[in-house]
Amino acid sequence: MSIVQTRLESVKDLESLRQRVLAEQDLIAHRVRVCLGSGCRAKGAPKVFERFRQAAAELGDASLVVQTKCTGCHGFCERGPIVVVDPGNIFYQNVREEDVPEIWRESAVGGRVVERLLYHDEETGKPATTCEAIPFYNAQHRIVLAHNGAIDPTRIEDYLAAGGYAALAKVLGTMEPDEVIDVITRSGLRGRGGGGFPTGRKWRSARDAPGEPTYVIANGDEGDPGAFMDCAIMEGVPHGVIEGMIIGAYAVGSSQGYIYVRNEYPLAVKHLSIAIEQVRELGLLGEDILGSGFCFDIRINRGAGAFVCGESTALMASLEGRVGEPRAKYIHTVESGLHEKPSLLNNVETWANVPHIILKGAKWFASFGTEKSKGTKVFSLVGNVKNTGLVEVRMGMTLREIIYGIGGGIRDGKAFKAVQTGGPSGGCIPAACLDEPVDFDRLTELGSMMGSGGMIVMDEETCMVNVAKYFLQFLRDESCGKCAPCREGTAQMLDVLTRITKGEGREGDVETLERLGELLEDTALCALGKTAAYPVLSTVRRFRDEYEAHVQRRQCPAKECPGLFRYEIDAETCTGCGLCRKKCPVEAITGERKAPHVIDPEICTDCGTCFDVCPFSAVIKV
Amino acid sequence: MPTVTIDDKPCQAQIGETILQVARRNGFWIPTLCHHDALPSYAACRICVVEIDRGGWWQVVTSCNYPIRGDLTVRIDSERAIRGRRGVMQLLLARCPESVELARLAARMGVRSTPYPKVTEAQRNCILCGLCVRVCDELIGASAIARAGRGVERAIAAPFRMPSEDCIGCGACAAICPVGTIVVRMHEEEVEISPFKTRVKLKRCAACGEPIGSELVQQALARRGGPKVVELLAREEFCPRCKRKKLAKELTAAVPRAGSGQSVSQRS
Repeated sequence: MSIVQTRLESVKDLESLRQRVLAEQDLIAHRVRVCLGSGCRAKGAPKVFERFRQAAAELGDASLVVQTKCTGCHGFCERGPIVVVDPGNIFYQNVREEDVPEIWRESAVGGRVVERLLYHDEETGKPATTCEAIPFYNAQHRIVLAHNGAIDPTRIEDYLAAGGYAALAKVLGTMEPDEVIDVITRSGLRGRGGGGFPTGRKWRSARDAPGEPTYVIANGDEGDPGAFMDCAIMEGVPHGVIEGMIIGAYAVGSSQGYIYVRNEYPLAVKHLSIAIEQVRELGLLGEDILGSGFCFDIRINRGAGAFVCGESTALMASLEGRVGEPRAKYIHTVESGLHEKPSLLNNVETWANVPHIILKGAKWFASFGTEKSKGTKVFSLVGNVKNTGLVEVRMGMTLREIIYGIGGGIRDGKAFKAVQTGGPSGGCIPAACLDEPVDFDRLTELGSMMGSGGMIVMDEETCMVNVAKYFLQFLRDESCGKCAPCREGTAQMLDVLTRITKGEGREGDVETLERLGELLEDTALCALGKTAAYPVLSTVRRFRDEYEAHVQRRQCPAKECPGLFRYEIDAETCTGCGLCRKKCPVEAITGERKAPHVIDPEICTDCGTCFDVCPFSAVIKV
Repeated sequence: MPTVTIDDKPCQAQIGETILQVARRNGFWIPTLCHHDALPSYAACRICVVEIDRGGWWQVVTSCNYPIRGDLTVRIDSERAIRGRRGVMQLLLARCPESVELARLAARMGVRSTPYPKVTEAQRNCILCGLCVRVCDELIGASAIARAGRGVERAIAAPFRMPSEDCIGCGACAAICPVGTIVVRMHEEEVEISPFKTRVKLKRCAACGEPIGSELVQQALARRGGPKVVELLAREEFCPRCKRKKLAKELTAAVPRAGSGQSVSQRS
């Protein structure tokens, strides 16, 4: 079935293959695209896809060809599983298995729209036929995720039809390595993994570094809680990462590349493996790529689940088969990295930007964004926001535009409290800063960071001390334990935070946290340890009153920390149904039938059962 | 030749030397725990931090592995550097409150106590500097112990925390341990390396029967050293005292009127 069989000997071969793929694609007008990204998968997309496949197989009419296709993540995970039908690019959301016959009959074959499965605007109630009409999508600007949701990541034909490997052809056919580095430098691309180091400058250092061989590495060890940007990129457009890496390898003169991907992303591993196999067969990896004389190959290495292995030196130690722990970077990894050789490591998203920049030019890329942060950034928008999912926005967009425009605001009509950016080591940004633009330097000035693109939105019922405790616990558990300040310091800070959230805080605790935070920043070995205190320091800075309420008044203003608030029954709202009385495990609730009930604070253990079961929301936290 | 200015004193340095090497040669004291001259730097204990001038801003770096690449201004005595070193020491004291060696070093650094409670469960007094693991792996070549677990769970142990089969009982780990956590115990017929529970056969002096160490050490040395070492090892049948006696006897037999006591002492 595949028309991809022979090795491509030249750029011309690649172009003629692309023409054949396009010609074949033109024959198919009807197409059903089912998102099989991790989010939709979890919500039952594989069964939906299977039903469509069956329907396609049973289709008797030979004059009509309907292609069913699985794609990578569309981003709008909140509304998954997502199915898009062509012609018309009709966007169906929350599709269940039982909806498949109707979509198939009416839409895929019949060409009509099944209105009940469309996205309906929350305010106007108007249906949106295509994704462009949905606010979640129309404020985004997709470069890296442009092909996500459109192509089948396991079919190289799809990537070729979308213009894939044209950038590689351009580089190998017409550009010198220095020119490539020059384009990347002028584009203003900065590392998407967290540090934001200028990519072009890194490439230049790698090219100029003495010693050989030079290694090229893609960091796909994404481990931030609530982040799945890199996952979606590797799953959805694996060829984009690979093409970027081949271009990078040509630019810095490397013949061996590695993709380090965490093993908890089995789909990413699978899709990358398939993609590598495909490009090897085509001769886009291996010896004498496209007849240019350039040789390069890529190996996949799977991470064993250590967050710290996302740190470049720990990642390289792990690649070498040693314990994944960081080392000092006084000598940069571009000079002495993997096997003590020059090594160019970029994040998956950085690599995926490269082909686009090469094809469309540095000027085009630099036209998006702010003065020092160019292009777009993928964020995983999660937490107490209405539209959770994966979004790609221009740098410089304000937090408000992202959270309220794309994200649709806070769930259940609650008020916004803070947004946590930059992963576990990032900081919390309060409401007063919502109109700040998202760019590398501004986020750092706000006491947070860009990080790899996690964005966790929190509402008024979120306790900031508890948030700090959550992230610190994560970092303490993920600290490799090599350096003393990180290992001991995070444990000490967690101890203080645990006491505070239990109402056992003491005078001077907040100052202890600040002192330890500063110590970690100064003395810890790697970025994990140096920034481990940020979630604490940023919440102390922005929400000091909440810490003080916990310590001095033994109160949790957000009413989240058990024991630091009480449950009461509102006599006006209580109907006397008696459900809470029956469910209370310690018999702390009394009251006559159809009369307001009362909680005895002496007996109550603050377990919250009454709060959860009350059908009238009569149980309140005070 | 670059000049490294340490606390206002200009010092000559070689490219590639570390700040610690230059500082020590010039009479400065910087505390260290995970550093040993016989091993490559590891920079895990962070007790040796100093401040360096990065041209407009000051950076805290570990002196044990920061390489000299040109002229450099270093402050060991700056407030921030001292705060960093003492802060790390306080954390280590909280972990190992019973270690006499650690308390001694702390006192020399001006740290008398720690404000922190003990929150990490250590193998008794182990600060996880990793010297024992590195000496065993990189110098002895036995790789009998390793770092096990991650983060606060980390411990030094032989595989599966069982007695090691690769340990040769040389005791290098105990000798290098800066806080006296690892101990060599002599039993009737075995040498025990504590706390790793490893036991290897004890060798006793062929003359007086005093314990002289592990039998496997000699075998390991013989494997690594070739015939010459084997020849030398033949002498290792005896404890140091009996060896001296034996040598003295041999020499006096060879030179009846021993004219040079000096040469005897040199050869022993």
